[in-house]
Amino acid sequence: MASSASSHGSINAADHSPPPPPTASAPVQAVENNLLTPVALSSVSLHGAKNTRRSLLDHVFKPLVRESASADTTFGDVLARLSIANQKLARYDIFKEDSIRVFISEALEQPQPGLHLDCTNLDVSISVKEKSRLVLSAGTDFGNAEGSAYTNAVIRNILGGAETLSVNASTGTRTRSAYNAVFSTPVNGNPDLRLGLEGLRSSTQKPWASHEEQLTGGNLRLAYLADNGDSHALAYSGVWRQLTNLAATSSPTVRADAGDSLKSSIAHTFTRDRRDRAGNPMLSQNGWLLRTVSELAGWGPLRGDVAFCKSEVEVSGAVPVLNSIRGGLPSGISVGGGLRMGVLYPLPTGYSLTGPAQPSRINDRFQLGGPTDVRGFKQCGLGPHDGTDAVGGDVYAAGSVNMLLPLPRAGPESPLRIQLFTNGGRLVALKNKGKAGEGGPTAALDSRAVVNGISSAVCELADGLPSLAAGVGLVYAHPVARFELNFSLPLVQRRGEEARKGLQVGVGINFL
Amino acid sequence: MSTTNASTSTSTSTNTATAPRSSKPASASASSPYSWRQAMPVPRLLQQLFDLVPLATYSANTLPARSPSTTPDQLPTLYVFASDEDARFGAPSFNPSCLKWQTYLKLAGVRFHITPSTNHASPSGALPFLLPARSSPTDSPAPIPSNKLQHYAFAQGPAPPPELTSLRLEAYQALLDLPVRNAWLQSLYLEPAHAALLDELYVAPASSSGWIRASLRAQLRRAAEAEILRTSSSATAAVVDVDAVYAAALEAFEALAGLLAESETGWFFGAAQPTLFDASVFAYTHLMLRYLGPGEENGSAQAAEAPFVPARLGVVVGCAGAGELERHRERMLKRVWGEPLVDADGVRRSIE
Repeated sequence: MASSASSHGSINAADHSPPPPPTASAPVQAVENNLLTPVALSSVSLHGAKNTRRSLLDHVFKPLVRESASADTTFGDVLARLSIANQKLARYDIFKEDSIRVFISEALEQPQPGLHLDCTNLDVSISVKEKSRLVLSAGTDFGNAEGSAYTNAVIRNILGGAETLSVNASTGTRTRSAYNAVFSTPVNGNPDLRLGLEGLRSSTQKPWASHEEQLTGGNLRLAYLADNGDSHALAYSGVWRQLTNLAATSSPTVRADAGDSLKSSIAHTFTRDRRDRAGNPMLSQNGWLLRTVSELAGWGPLRGDVAFCKSEVEVSGAVPVLNSIRGGLPSGISVGGGLRMGVLYPLPTGYSLTGPAQPSRINDRFQLGGPTDVRGFKQCGLGPHDGTDAVGGDVYAAGSVNMLLPLPRAGPESPLRIQLFTNGGRLVALKNKGKAGEGGPTAALDSRAVVNGISSAVCELADGLPSLAAGVGLVYAHPVARFELNFSLPLVQRRGEEARKGLQVGVGINFL
Repeated sequence: MSTTNASTSTSTSTNTATAPRSSKPASASASSPYSWRQAMPVPRLLQQLFDLVPLATYSANTLPARSPSTTPDQLPTLYVFASDEDARFGAPSFNPSCLKWQTYLKLAGVRFHITPSTNHASPSGALPFLLPARSSPTDSPAPIPSNKLQHYAFAQGPAPPPELTSLRLEAYQALLDLPVRNAWLQSLYLEPAHAALLDELYVAPASSSGWIRASLRAQLRRAAEAEILRTSSSATAAVVDVDAVYAAALEAFEALAGLLAESETGWFFGAAQPTLFDASVFAYTHLMLRYLGPGEENGSAQAAEAPFVPARLGVVVGCAGAGELERHRERMLKRVWGEPLVDADGVRRSIE
């Protein structure tokens, strides 16, 4: 439907005449000559939004009309506001990207006589084409160290308010099956503030700890994209986790954690991405990224079977070097680094802060190692191992330093790079220093034991050298995922940790 | 109508093999030991480089707090359904299959710990199973499923009970595996009167969440009903004939009591000492007398005047024959759990 409104403007004797740039073409010149001309909006109309609610469009155009109502509105102001409104329309993701066109013309009929004789009244007409409401797709996906095939159905603009329902089914190398459905809607017509409700069910093999984890649950998520590009996401999730199908060789640690648990948690994720992704999104050689994840599970009204506070920080960055050799153009050479840290702090259930707390379970603990984080180690090869099972840890720190060099023949524009790297990390578990082995897996820790355990685990991070590996490899930054083929050697490791000597292939999106 | 279906499942005519518990197949080992090095020989120079690294190896990381550590006395662990407290004292499990093997291993003189667990932890999909003691802190011994426990007891136990050779053994074993087991399933899992008990034993320990509990409860009930239907005489029926289930159990207990009355030693088949069959019978009779006896939940005053309820299997066991089964259970308890239970801290507790 069309949306229209009118506004008033009165004269404000403007003594201006900006000199036009000499190279401007005639229409541009005409616009620039009139940037400071006082105008009033007579009408705004939108064409082509057949399935979109008026109330959603009001969120976009009401501010435009309201702000343009003041007396000193100029043609330039209107253009700027129109541009903002159009970007907003585009971010709803319901209109075809290149279909949004704006037509501005002088109003044919003069509104109420006597009021606007001395300013130009404008009619604004915007035409859009809606994207198709139902999109079915199928394909293959690369996540971190996992490939999968998926089918996906997206229904856009279901209720006319830019709501989206996305239904997904996939099967992969490790995720045997995953189904999820997400309904998301902009809050208050704001395309940068979205509320999503998701239901999911999946079954994932964890060969590094010889079991399979089945998840059934849902989450409610509020995501906010700030004007400066920062993103915040606040989510409540309730998930029934079932550890099952253990291998014959499963360790006693995994057996002790087999069975059911409910995790009820709220999590906040903050991302500030200042990487230069203009060239190749998978090959950023300039800029930095900060991400924090904080999760509170089981405490107070959250209930559930597990209670902890978990916090993770990731910083990474790169600086281009030797740009001078190509006269300021990117040389394709950069030095980069990354650091990740995390702590899991067991909490008592209920509202107490000092009551006994259950130590963490294997599905809540951190895992470290593999071609996409600490290279030169097998997937989850770092940290405590019970037999051959990687059982995870409660505190970790990992870092990497790398240098990217263009290939001699391919040059800096190609997505290929040679990589020299060294990386390392420590993954440490919270120990029960009390009477070990008595009371079985359900023995709780009192608050003093938790404090002591965490502080000694943090101290242990710096106890000796971290487990380290170094190597050289080839990076191929495909727009979909980054591929790495590395030759690496472990330099330092702990007994039981699984290093990988020689070649290692990494496919993923987020590398350390 | 309660007697019409019962005759088919009594005494010697039944020749059905032991009914397997519903279980998931154990997944194949997920990690393959294949390495490219086996397929391709590594050049000598590279091999020398590989041998150089790692330059430093520190001692192993310690395991997380929830990991069961090596037991100080190097004993194997039997994974069973049990409460935390029962496990600490080594008290009888509340699951018939677990109790049978727990009793048998104790009869054989095997020393072991028990730990509370779930079917998910088992390599066969069902409890119990035995995990031998670790020889080192990170060694993972192969678990022994319940069908290999008798063999284990013969190999490891100082006093393995004699193996019975009676021709009638199979027929009596079938009484336990079909009518007695079905009655146990019906009474505990499907009778509304025992819903609270089922929750306490099997549902509540799994999760504190009402949603998960409701789902597990429904799963348990469905599985129990399917199991009864699968093994009951009228295999095509869609609904469990409750009366027939209890009537069959009643006859089975009478037959068992009669068998026991023939014995001069007080153990089944006249054995000199209790055998695996005694453990199998005890596993049901003890649990029925303890959990499904008269007025366990409703208060004794009300129950004393209550009419005979077939779901109260403890009463059925007590009344079978001239009380032989109840006395057999007392003897077994005294023999296997004769001394008061003591936990690692020296705290004492009685069985009941």
